[in-house]
Amino acid sequence: MSNVILFNLTTVLFGAASALYLGALYAKNENLAGAGTWVCILAAVVSTAAIGVRWYESYQMGIGRIPVTNLYESLVFFAWSVNLFYLIVERKYRNRTFGAFVMPIAFITMVFAVYNDSSIQPLVPALQSYWLHAHVITCFIGYAAFAVSAGVALMYLLKARQEAAKISEGVVGLLPSCKMLDDLVYRAIIWGFPFLTVGIITGAAWANYAWGTYWSWDPKETWSLIVWLVYALFLHARITRGWHGRRAAIISIVGFLATVMCYLGVNLLLSGLHSYGGG
Amino acid sequence: MADEKRTLSPMDRVWNFFISVKLAIATLIVLAVTSILGTLIEQNQPPEKYHQIYEDWAFTLMDSINLFDMYHSKWFLFILVLFTVNLSCCTLDRFPKMLRVVRNPRTKLDGSLEKTLSLSDRWKRKGHLSEWTGKYSEALSASFAKPKVTEDGGEVHLYAETGVASRFGVYVTHLSIIFIFLGAIVGNVAGFKGYVNIPEGESVTQVPVRGGIAMQDLGFTVRCNSFRLETYPTGQPKAFMSDLSVIEGGRETLRKTIVVNDPLQYNGIWFYQSSYGQAGGATAQVAVSRRDGTPMGALALTANEPVPIEGYGVVRGVDYVENFQGMGPALRVAVEKPGQPAASFWLVQGRPDLDRQRADSLVFSFGGLSSKMFTGLQVAKDPGVNIVWLGCALMVIGLIMAFFLSHQRVWVRLAQGTDGRVEVVLAGSASRNRLAFEKRFEKLQSGVKAAGQ
Repeated sequence: MSNVILFNLTTVLFGAASALYLGALYAKNENLAGAGTWVCILAAVVSTAAIGVRWYESYQMGIGRIPVTNLYESLVFFAWSVNLFYLIVERKYRNRTFGAFVMPIAFITMVFAVYNDSSIQPLVPALQSYWLHAHVITCFIGYAAFAVSAGVALMYLLKARQEAAKISEGVVGLLPSCKMLDDLVYRAIIWGFPFLTVGIITGAAWANYAWGTYWSWDPKETWSLIVWLVYALFLHARITRGWHGRRAAIISIVGFLATVMCYLGVNLLLSGLHSYGGG
Repeated sequence: MADEKRTLSPMDRVWNFFISVKLAIATLIVLAVTSILGTLIEQNQPPEKYHQIYEDWAFTLMDSINLFDMYHSKWFLFILVLFTVNLSCCTLDRFPKMLRVVRNPRTKLDGSLEKTLSLSDRWKRKGHLSEWTGKYSEALSASFAKPKVTEDGGEVHLYAETGVASRFGVYVTHLSIIFIFLGAIVGNVAGFKGYVNIPEGESVTQVPVRGGIAMQDLGFTVRCNSFRLETYPTGQPKAFMSDLSVIEGGRETLRKTIVVNDPLQYNGIWFYQSSYGQAGGATAQVAVSRRDGTPMGALALTANEPVPIEGYGVVRGVDYVENFQGMGPALRVAVEKPGQPAASFWLVQGRPDLDRQRADSLVFSFGGLSSKMFTGLQVAKDPGVNIVWLGCALMVIGLIMAFFLSHQRVWVRLAQGTDGRVEVVLAGSASRNRLAFEKRFEKLQSGVKAAGQ
């Protein structure tokens, strides 16, 4: 299948981009990071093409469906979203050090995807709905934003420790200022939170249309609520109680761990309505 | 502070407890952490299953605090109520204050306000106060918003704002959660959820609800005319559908074929295609004719059920194979004629010519097996669901207002200076995304400064 070849190429490109960004930090070589950006752009093109080809190939097989319906497809879509979200952040903040912390997330996701079944399977009747598109796309844009936020939060924790020790040399010295990192942790979340909210709502609307129940406390639903609560906590603590910096960064990382649990943990460890999403 | 606390009445203390953000943060944490429990312990399983997993004492303990149906337990409901009360009180406490601030903005840029604003600029212009007031009003209207003009003690203040709605985003979001809970309560009180199996050709007028412990009258009849299953070449189900009729007052008032994700709705009651199965055993269709070809009718044989044929004997279907000696599906029938030993023989599907060779008075033709199916329907009535959707819509609108709008304010103060020139001060602030506002302010600054030059 040509789509799988393109996705494998994407994996290699994400790996190369991660290596270039990390190398740029260690060697303090801005040219390497610049090359990383171009690799990311190329990866965006290749992965977008791969999704398109996979979509087209599903029609050729007589199945015809959007490629976001099993674990393999959701993993590559997540990596695709993280890459795109990262490129926007890089362009907006004009700083390439983020790449070393964000692109490995996309790379690891793709490596994980490669070890999963990549065949195009027909859809079970429950998934044959237009709600599928809105539900999956909004959820994954939310997840991608949370991944970026957590990557930046990690940068913040490293940078803050160094600033406290009043050192400005070394790899960490190249990172953007704590103020900027702290701001970006927050900014990624205020993008992710509305998308997650819409993702949960479209899921509820779909469930109501398919089963007559918009909320049934299924483990996936419950975990998505837990993720939502963690980020609601982040927003309240930050906006009304002034939790910045270290504490905000830690909540962002906890939120992303909850996201990973919601996305992968539920399918791999628990049982429920989304079990077919487990590939 | 200590004195103040002592003079607070108990009522005030209760109120202060419920309007605190600390309580909100605590409830969010408690909700998140307790919710995890119900995902680790599978909910609403039969007791036998729990007994297999847990020791007796653990089962008793967990059952006593409703851990096997925790999301419907009193203590979880209590946390949700606390969450809602906290949310409502915060809103009641802060919303009027916000409304007052928005209704009566500080339209005058006095010295104390000016000190709090990080973005400001000042310059002087030759000419008259009223002339520059007009020019700067126009400039603000053109590039920002129409200003409100206040004259005070020889000074003129211009005040313009955009994105006031962003201040209300948080209240819209909080209100939306109350709507969602309200919708859920209405649905629980005035609605029902049930499940029913209807065999093909049969009808129901009521459905079992609440796990089968009660029956709910529909107020009309639903008939399953037929059921159909389509499979992928792999054998996986591709689609399954039921042809349903609604019958009211002896008349068919609605007919629809439903599939998963496309339910039928009648009088506010929804029928969702949920599952299917075989209703009873299979039936073999057997056509009977005389040796000369005159048809005698058809038999529907169920396994081992004797069917008499007048003047002939009794026929039973006793066996079925998918492939009989490479000729396809076949049915073995046993025939008992009065005064004769019982005989049995195979009928290959669609091959009456083979049976003709048996040299009997009747010829049988096996038409195939058919099995009657039942359709499994979720049945739900939820009059609260639209309130829930209203809440969801409000939540999205509220979040967009809160996070993507910014309340931006700009002031201009003009005063006739002692040197005869007009002294101008421009200042601004934004409720969020200050970085973006800085850029906008810079543009505004150069635009306003250039006005009338």
